Amino acid sequence: MSNVIVHRVAEFLKRFPPFSFLSKEVLEKVAASVQVRYLEKGDILFRQGQPAEPHFYILKEGAIVLTESLQNHEEIRDQCDEGDVFGVLALLGKRPYVLSAKVDENSLVYAIPVAIFEEILEHNSRVALYFAAGFASGQVVIRQDLSEGQKARGAFKNESRDHSLMIFSDKSEIKFSEKVLTCSPEQSIQQAAALMAEKQVSSIVVCREDLKPLGIITDKDLRSKVVAKGIPLETPSSEIMSAPVLTMRKDASFSDLYLTMIKNRLHHLILTEDGTDQSQVCGILSDHDVLLSMGNSPAVLIHGLMNTLDLKEMRLIRDQAEQMLGYYLENELTMDFVASVMTEVNDIIIKQALRIAENSLSDEDPALKKIPFCFLSLGSEGREEQLLRTDQDNALVYEDVPEALAEQAHAYFLKLGTAMVEVLLACGFASCPGDIMASNPKWVQPMSKWKGYFSEWIIRPTEEAILSATIFFDFRPIAGNLGLGETLSLHIYEEIQKKKIFLNFLAKNALMNPPPLGFFKGFVVEKSGEHENEFDIKSRAMMPLADLARLLVLSHGVIGVNNTFKRFDRLAELEPNYEALFKQAAKAYEILMRTRALEGLGNESSGRFIKPESLGKLERQLLKNTFSPITELQSIVKVRFQLDYFQQ
Amino acid sequence: MSWWNFGRKKIDHADFVDAFLLKNQKPIPAIRSIAQLEFTVFDTETTGLSTKDDYILSFGAIKIRNQAIQIETALELYPNSPNSGQNTAAIHGLIQRENQLSIRQFAEQSLSYFGNSVLVAHHIGFDTEMMQKACKPFGLERLPNPMIDTMSFAIRLEHGPHADRSQYNPEHYGLDELCARYNIITEDRHTAAGDAFLTAQLFLKLLKLAAAKGIQNFGQLIR
Repeated sequence: MSNVIVHRVAEFLKRFPPFSFLSKEVLEKVAASVQVRYLEKGDILFRQGQPAEPHFYILKEGAIVLTESLQNHEEIRDQCDEGDVFGVLALLGKRPYVLSAKVDENSLVYAIPVAIFEEILEHNSRVALYFAAGFASGQVVIRQDLSEGQKARGAFKNESRDHSLMIFSDKSEIKFSEKVLTCSPEQSIQQAAALMAEKQVSSIVVCREDLKPLGIITDKDLRSKVVAKGIPLETPSSEIMSAPVLTMRKDASFSDLYLTMIKNRLHHLILTEDGTDQSQVCGILSDHDVLLSMGNSPAVLIHGLMNTLDLKEMRLIRDQAEQMLGYYLENELTMDFVASVMTEVNDIIIKQALRIAENSLSDEDPALKKIPFCFLSLGSEGREEQLLRTDQDNALVYEDVPEALAEQAHAYFLKLGTAMVEVLLACGFASCPGDIMASNPKWVQPMSKWKGYFSEWIIRPTEEAILSATIFFDFRPIAGNLGLGETLSLHIYEEIQKKKIFLNFLAKNALMNPPPLGFFKGFVVEKSGEHENEFDIKSRAMMPLADLARLLVLSHGVIGVNNTFKRFDRLAELEPNYEALFKQAAKAYEILMRTRALEGLGNESSGRFIKPESLGKLERQLLKNTFSPITELQSIVKVRFQLDYFQQ
Repeated sequence: MSWWNFGRKKIDHADFVDAFLLKNQKPIPAIRSIAQLEFTVFDTETTGLSTKDDYILSFGAIKIRNQAIQIETALELYPNSPNSGQNTAAIHGLIQRENQLSIRQFAEQSLSYFGNSVLVAHHIGFDTEMMQKACKPFGLERLPNPMIDTMSFAIRLEHGPHADRSQYNPEHYGLDELCARYNIITEDRHTAAGDAFLTAQLFLKLLKLAAAKGIQNFGQLIR
């Protein structure tokens, strides 16, 4: 056996998944079983329909395309470059190849015997997940379970960086209560509970006059040891306290304190002068304090926002929310939760913006101030999907006023809208390049004018009208009189019922942007074979999905569901025969949102343009897997709205 | 050690040498296709360039079957110096390896590994002489295997079978230069196994080039 050669092969393999998940010993064993083949441009490694070989492949160098022969032509399904794993059907199903592998550039290929990997699949769950999630090239032919892919990404990621440690990187001072509520061991449970209720705290330390801690009573003790057991309320508190107590010095480092709490499953940690229970109590740290110190609690942020009208502070809290967002995304919390939290934060900022704006207009005519109005969020914030502070899109609607008041009212609401937009700008929300904001006189209008706008777009769906529709149809009433928003929704619904052809125009628009084929080296590969070196995740993947979701829910007459992945979930209920596809689409959208937000946070950008070379193999594949439901939905829409026969 | 016997003119064949020669008795038919051939690509690291005074420090080899490099066949051997017992380790500053072989073991293992395969090396003449020198005490005069020198092979493919020295610069046919020209990343250079692996990759690429020129079978290849 030659260690030099095997080691050289192993060094290459371990750079790429799934080989990167193998232990050193297993990797050497795999490397020792490799066959190196050299193929020239034009050669065919395997053909569609040919029985599976006892090998699968990883490309060492060169380029290989995977193609599918259709009735009268051949279509490229995938393009492999260095480190891509392909031909895995041999491994997974022992079925004949469903694609052909053609050599596009002279290639060195490592063939890996299936036999040796079968054993690994059984024992290494991460490797099994890699294949189950469809990360190998050319595996996407059959619709992928995207949730597997997402799960897999989570599982793989933790290897490289342990994000649980992230919370310790924050050097911020920990805040704990120095005023510690105490009672004597002789005092009754009821007295102790009364003290806690009075001070609105969740724990009380039991000690004598010397203030050396004997034990602790918490809300949980009252619940499980007192109420549940039904013991008399006169029982001395010493009987139910948890004792002895664990103590730490108050100047211990945050990570020490936090780890002590985690390791001992403590919700409260008592701090004493010298760190033992033989000195005075000088503080208490609750897990709530820990969360506060980390700034990672939405409740804390929201509470903070609701109690300030100071722009700097609002901005600071929104910045903190973004840190929290990063933490949530890294830890793969569900997108439903993440989006809800961020939407709540954004909505509260808008509500506070209204209060600030109204305060600044306090001198205005009281008659104007009484006119009901509603601030509408459009676009991604309207869809409850705005994670990063990308463009603000908003508008303002107010109730119709007598002719005599019209001009004054418009001027007043324009001032109000402008003031709100300024607050949002100060909080870091970017300005809308198309000027679709409540500071634009065109988009601050009474109800009748708004109804007119929507009717016009629906009746005369010009290109511009359709573009407006894609932004305005996702409006969501945020602040003011929310009923006005509902009135407007109802109007739109009725108009569309009258003019269904509008949906065909909307459908046509939803097909404008088919997703690309995938990625190759540093490029985005188009179905036409063209290459781009940047991927516009918004216009190439997210917008098509958002457009499809909007179109389809509107065609079902569903109003009030704005969120794209919730729209797909609803469609899955409405059309059970396409349930799987809609679920896939919802998942795909979540993955895209996550990818974009992470990209944006990482580069302090809008996250819209992604450089393929910045993506790891797994991320590329996961992203690519999101394209297949888009393609499939687009072809369904094409047939359903008869777009082949539909001419503008 | 009994094998190191300068006194005798005629040396008896060791059993493993006989077995090796027997295996090589039957010639490979000229019409056998290249895909059916077994190649042993090897390299030796020696104490110097004199086939008379220097000797093999390490031997690295790998096989090509079915036109694919079979990593599992990769082999590294480290023979003892012929005058071990004297203080050569100190002289050459070599660290004695744990898996050091006696010359007899080395000859036996390398010949059995060669079998009747086609031998391939870069500057094969030198490596062959060194191997023959190591095997001579056991009765092997000459390696009978068909041989291919990757340097001559590359010249033949690039300049035609009748190229003479005026048509090419031999400096362009060193292993480093050829690897650069054929896009082979030179890693582990100057270890016997590393060079054998590089030579094998080069040979694989040259075989493709040969096929394009109509070289399909053993007869055409060995010419």
